[in-house]
Amino acid sequence: MHHQIVRRAGAERETLWVLLAAGLILATATAAVGLRPAPDAEAALAPHRIDSRTALTAAEQGLHADLKMAAAEIAALRKAAGISNGRSPSPAELAAQALPPFAADASAAARGGHAWTLVESGGTVAYAGLSADPGTAGSLVLLLDGDDHGDGGGDYHGPAIWLKRAAEAPPARLDEASLAAAGWKRITSTFTAGVTR
Amino acid sequence: MTISLNRRRFLAATLAAGVLPAGTAAAAGRKRFGITLHPYYSYVANIVGDRAEVVPIIPAGFNPHAYEPRPEDIQRIGSLDAIVLNGIGHDDFAGRMIAASSKPKLPVVEANADVPPLPAAGSAARASGKVVNPHSFLSITGSVLQVATIARELGRLDPANAEAYTANARTYSRRLRQLRADALGKLAGAGDTRLRVATIHGAYDYLLREFGLEVSAVVEPAHGIEPSPAQLAETIATMRRLDVQVIFSELNFPSAYVETIRRETGIRLYSFSHISHGDYAAAQFEREMTRNMDTLVQAMLETAP
Repeated sequence: MHHQIVRRAGAERETLWVLLAAGLILATATAAVGLRPAPDAEAALAPHRIDSRTALTAAEQGLHADLKMAAAEIAALRKAAGISNGRSPSPAELAAQALPPFAADASAAARGGHAWTLVESGGTVAYAGLSADPGTAGSLVLLLDGDDHGDGGGDYHGPAIWLKRAAEAPPARLDEASLAAAGWKRITSTFTAGVTR
Repeated sequence: MTISLNRRRFLAATLAAGVLPAGTAAAAGRKRFGITLHPYYSYVANIVGDRAEVVPIIPAGFNPHAYEPRPEDIQRIGSLDAIVLNGIGHDDFAGRMIAASSKPKLPVVEANADVPPLPAAGSAARASGKVVNPHSFLSITGSVLQVATIARELGRLDPANAEAYTANARTYSRRLRQLRADALGKLAGAGDTRLRVATIHGAYDYLLREFGLEVSAVVEPAHGIEPSPAQLAETIATMRRLDVQVIFSELNFPSAYVETIRRETGIRLYSFSHISHGDYAAAQFEREMTRNMDTLVQAMLETAP
């Protein structure tokens, strides 16, 4: 006698295969995501550096950008006067040219009322601005001949600008090690992500 | 035969007439520098003067926030010697266009290489300040820094004119700085002008920082898009909570939306130009920034206690 087993109508086997396939896809995707994580946040800054975008107050951010602009103008002024390592224009001369942040205008008053002096030490020229309102903006130092040693990432062009929130006097020595030892922090700018990339 | 010869002569004459001026220009060695956004047209036009040609790759009238590359614009890139880009988020479409063009290795001048970027504000802010605010061109300092970078890089690409580019850049930068000094001069004697500020579009942080102002809130749901009633209600509640004293909106922004905020909060409202409309012109940046700073000074004087 011939026997034949007829499966009852239903989609159990198909469902099982579909679930298995879905499970396999999910497992593969999870493994792929787990094995290829987004690159870690950029290397942490050296302790004597401070990030311009995330760690400065609004007033400090404005002053930092102005100092970068001023550094280029000061370099051009020195070049025009034929000075390479000689006398640099005094803060008063720069203020007379309405060059921010040296100009004594409404903006300077609203951003900490810094008192600027020319500091020279070991052949380096710097402009030091002591803040009258450290809560709004800390004191700043612009080193004209600053160069980057590439130890903190970013900001490879142009001058070196240092910040200290509670500074009572301009720094006595202007080399990187002395500034860092005296509690000054070098401001660093980086590009991490754009709106679409 | 005669007709065909004549036609050939006619064709040759027409071609010569059409081609010669281009040939002369090429012989004179005038470089063609591309730009994407209006302020960059003004920057580059003032830097190069008549020593090079400035070529906008997006026709005037397109909103750079919503621009989608078109084939004819990509084709134009093939005729350039270099392109000047914002490069930090306002013209990201350009990278794709250059890659698709006949010159995928076109030299690119990253105008913002020396500008300290601020964090993005409003709808673009995310990832705890990692996203950069691309509107550095809406400020004087940001512009002066970019003009110096552009002049330096274009000088590298066109050494014969490098000195002229540097000199022009410096003259232009002085004029720009003077605009800011004039505006700040109007605030002399105005006392404490610090304000709690909200902006509709997160584009004006760079400009406001130059005047010692900080943006308390950006209340833009998405640039140029009408908010829903719920978003509008939230925006109004946020402004009341932060006790905002002045709102900066944008010219060409949907007015009914802005008018509702003004009416409901009773806060003074002023409008800035994003400098992304109208024909490309060398003087446009100075003209519109002067108006922006006049608006800012007016707001500070009228609103300050």
